[in-house]
Amino acid sequence: MTRRGKFARLDWQILLAALVLCGIGLLNVYSGTRVAGTAGMPPFVKQLIWIFLGVLAFFACYLTSDGFIEEVVWPVFWGVLAILVVVLVAGKARGGSQRWISLGAFNFQPSEFAKVAVVLVLARYFAGRYNPSGIGFGDTVPAIGLVILPFLLVALQPDLGTAGVFMIILVGMIVIACLKGRTLLLMGVAGALAVPCLWFVMKGYQKQRVLTFLDPERDPLGAGYHVIQSKIAVGSGGFLGKGYLHGTQGSLRFLPEQHTDFAFAVFAEEWGFVGALVLLALFLFLVYRGFYLASRSQDRFASFACGGLTVYFLAHIAINLSMVCGLFPVVGIPLPFVSYGGSSMLTNMMALGIMANLARSRFTFQGSGERSINA
Amino acid sequence: MTQRLRKREQDPLIAARVRVVQRVALGLFALLLGRLYWLQVVQHEHFRTLSENNRLRIRTIRAPRGQILDRKERPIAETQASFDLICSPIDVTDPEGEIRLLAEIVDFDPDETREKIRAAKKANPYSGITVARDLRFEQVSVVEFNREALPGFSVLVEAKRSYPYGTSFAHVLGYVGEVSRDELDQSDDEWLAMGDIVGKYGLERRMDEVLRGINGGRHVEVDAAGRDKRLVDEVPPRSGGIVHTTLDADIQKVAEEAMENRAGAVIAMVPKTGDILAFVSAPGFDPNVFSRGIRKNEWQALATDVRKPMQNKGLQGTYAPGSTVKPLVAMAALEEGIQDPKAIVRCPGYLQIGNRRFRCWREKGHGTVDMYKGIVQSCDVYFYTMGLRLGPDRIAKLEKDAGLGTITGIDLPGERSGLVPDTEWKRKVSKERWYDSERAILGIGQGAVHVTPLEMLAGYATLATGGEVMRPRIVRRIVPMDGSAKEIPIQPLRKLPWKPENVAFVRRALAGVVNDYGTGGAAKLPGIEVGGKTGTAQVAAVKGKMIKSGDLPYELRDHAWFVGFAPVADPEICVVAMLEHGGHGGSAAAPIVKAVMQEYFRAKQVAQAQEKK
Repeated sequence: MTRRGKFARLDWQILLAALVLCGIGLLNVYSGTRVAGTAGMPPFVKQLIWIFLGVLAFFACYLTSDGFIEEVVWPVFWGVLAILVVVLVAGKARGGSQRWISLGAFNFQPSEFAKVAVVLVLARYFAGRYNPSGIGFGDTVPAIGLVILPFLLVALQPDLGTAGVFMIILVGMIVIACLKGRTLLLMGVAGALAVPCLWFVMKGYQKQRVLTFLDPERDPLGAGYHVIQSKIAVGSGGFLGKGYLHGTQGSLRFLPEQHTDFAFAVFAEEWGFVGALVLLALFLFLVYRGFYLASRSQDRFASFACGGLTVYFLAHIAINLSMVCGLFPVVGIPLPFVSYGGSSMLTNMMALGIMANLARSRFTFQGSGERSINA
Repeated sequence: MTQRLRKREQDPLIAARVRVVQRVALGLFALLLGRLYWLQVVQHEHFRTLSENNRLRIRTIRAPRGQILDRKERPIAETQASFDLICSPIDVTDPEGEIRLLAEIVDFDPDETREKIRAAKKANPYSGITVARDLRFEQVSVVEFNREALPGFSVLVEAKRSYPYGTSFAHVLGYVGEVSRDELDQSDDEWLAMGDIVGKYGLERRMDEVLRGINGGRHVEVDAAGRDKRLVDEVPPRSGGIVHTTLDADIQKVAEEAMENRAGAVIAMVPKTGDILAFVSAPGFDPNVFSRGIRKNEWQALATDVRKPMQNKGLQGTYAPGSTVKPLVAMAALEEGIQDPKAIVRCPGYLQIGNRRFRCWREKGHGTVDMYKGIVQSCDVYFYTMGLRLGPDRIAKLEKDAGLGTITGIDLPGERSGLVPDTEWKRKVSKERWYDSERAILGIGQGAVHVTPLEMLAGYATLATGGEVMRPRIVRRIVPMDGSAKEIPIQPLRKLPWKPENVAFVRRALAGVVNDYGTGGAAKLPGIEVGGKTGTAQVAAVKGKMIKSGDLPYELRDHAWFVGFAPVADPEICVVAMLEHGGHGGSAAAPIVKAVMQEYFRAKQVAQAQEKK
């Protein structure tokens, strides 16, 4: 009875949108890697397995009993922090930074999970400090402290892209969690002043990326190569695209990371402006649905968590697409559901499952009968 | 209960804040959409071009250069496939192992290759390195068999100019090389491009426009590593035209071998047509070395050799003719009617002019000498006398008419002319008049006179034809790319009004040189009457007592000449041999001419015998 009820109250729309995106991503992974000639399991099959595992993760999170997620937020948060420390000490270096731990056949990127953990812990914290006239500055400082810990651990890997996402999540959540306007302004000014300081903690290649973002032609075969080739891929796609499997930038490997971080470039080349429009519409739908769940939740923790996770999705989508279009420096942020990669797929599906779980829970308390939220 | 406490109706404040973030999201999506519109619709053409430039490359297919054939249609210059071992550094997985395996198959310098791979991996890993050139067929198949174990190495097939006779034809055929910046600027051939192979010297250069083909091209799709992925379209190359020559590879080889790598030149010609049968300048070089790209040290060795292997001595070297001019001086005396051939000159071994004594080569003298004996015994005193009687202008006129000191017009680039001095020349170089001593030595081909071996050959060919001067011809037929064959006709330059009895007399005397106990006995052939003249041209004036030339340092030794034709009655072949610092004409040069003639008549007999069958 309860089990059937849970399925009936599932927000199928958000899951379907994600699955359609996964399908598009899968086709795109095939196109982007069909000439890569990687030995062993082709990325297409791997990605299919990840999607399957992702759906399992979605339901694993969705089917937990009401309130369970809220209960385990703190242990999960400290657990993830511990794993980040382990990564920093004993992780696998790839591309100049330690982001990975090896789990048998699969490599794992715990910083992906850390983002979700941070959202949940902030939601829990702010839910406890909620004040109809707005949360004051004094209550905000510990929240910043909660973010700073994982931020520093990730920034030390170094992975400034992910670290940046933590900051965006923090900003998004303090807006949603109804900070006082004055406090918001104060923090905005402090943040603006902090940005230049970032320059001094960045590594050489990171500075290089920012500089080449400002002027890609300064190093067309080096740091600027990604951006230039990515823009060529997107631009050469034109209005209708070159056709599926007919892209040349990706299949001839002019485009690096063509199935992971630059998957959208391959997609935009083959499907053109029309295809990109459809993809953007799907993402917009996902984000809107997320915000809808956030604002309709009648539980503060659920509201903040849904809002925060939606901000998390939004940050990933916006940063990745901007990077591919040459509007943002190159950072290692994958496109949710579309980019190839297991950690990202599992994390995104779990986040989606958590959102669906929290959005469901309100009906239990409302007691107005079993009805779907999209009824 | 705690749950219930936190429960609330929809919080308007939270909803409002969420809407703020929602608007930010909408703004971001709008920005992205605008950017995509800009890239994909507005700027599409620009990026499409960049993408095409990325993926499409034009690969040149070099046109095979046309053949050069000898008179018997045998190729003496051709284009062949050459197999080079190429390394693509990016694909080398195990440099040590692959190099060790290769060392068992191919001869190359492992250390140099290792170093090259290391350097290229850093600098430009997509570039190709040539590890070894001209692999033999067995080596190619072993490399191909071991493909799996040699991922970074491959065999590249390239068209290479090849000269089957090696050094033999070096100076006639010349060599080819990559077109230079200057040649590219000067050429009006719109197809010629950087990296193309053009003729640099010899016939290769003179006939370049016939031999060079038109390159084809391949439009290929490449990946980011520059590797070919797919052929888009292809225009096949057009191979160059064919050049038929008058040269005879057999005679050429005999001539080259007879030189025994001594410095000098041998040229054989058919006097009636001017057809060049053989043209050797020694020492030569191997034009195949130039085809594969000459190395710096190899070039240095060629350029600094004192015997000048890069100079065509038959065409560009000028030498005092010595006694070889005597028949022409005699011819001048006869034509001018100033000397009866029967008239006697006494030779006591020297001729006294003023207070100087001009020696005859035969210290004890020749006694009484008429014109026949003068030529046969090469008596210097007789021809000092002729020199004095004729004077420079009359000698010069006949010699120039016969072809000495003039450009013969042979179809090879870089021909130089020698010098036949006359009064006009004398006036130009100094204000002084001709002294008797100078007039006398012109009679024996010393002094200011100097000629190229080709000019000397032309002079004797004129004697052989009885006054008809032909342009020496190497190219007899051209078949350009379009297949329209063009014959190059034989070209008479002028007909001299020489009296037949005078020509006959000189020819008889030349036959005597070889057959009548003269100085040229070494050129005697059984069954065929050879006529010719030796020459031993002094390089340094030796004062005082006679010193044998062989005792002098190499660069001061005499030049040895022999020029002749056969059969005397109706000459078919005319040959000149000149050895720089070679000593005596009779002993050094005459055997070379004999060998060349012998080969000519042997081949002729074989051909006749075959025809009879």
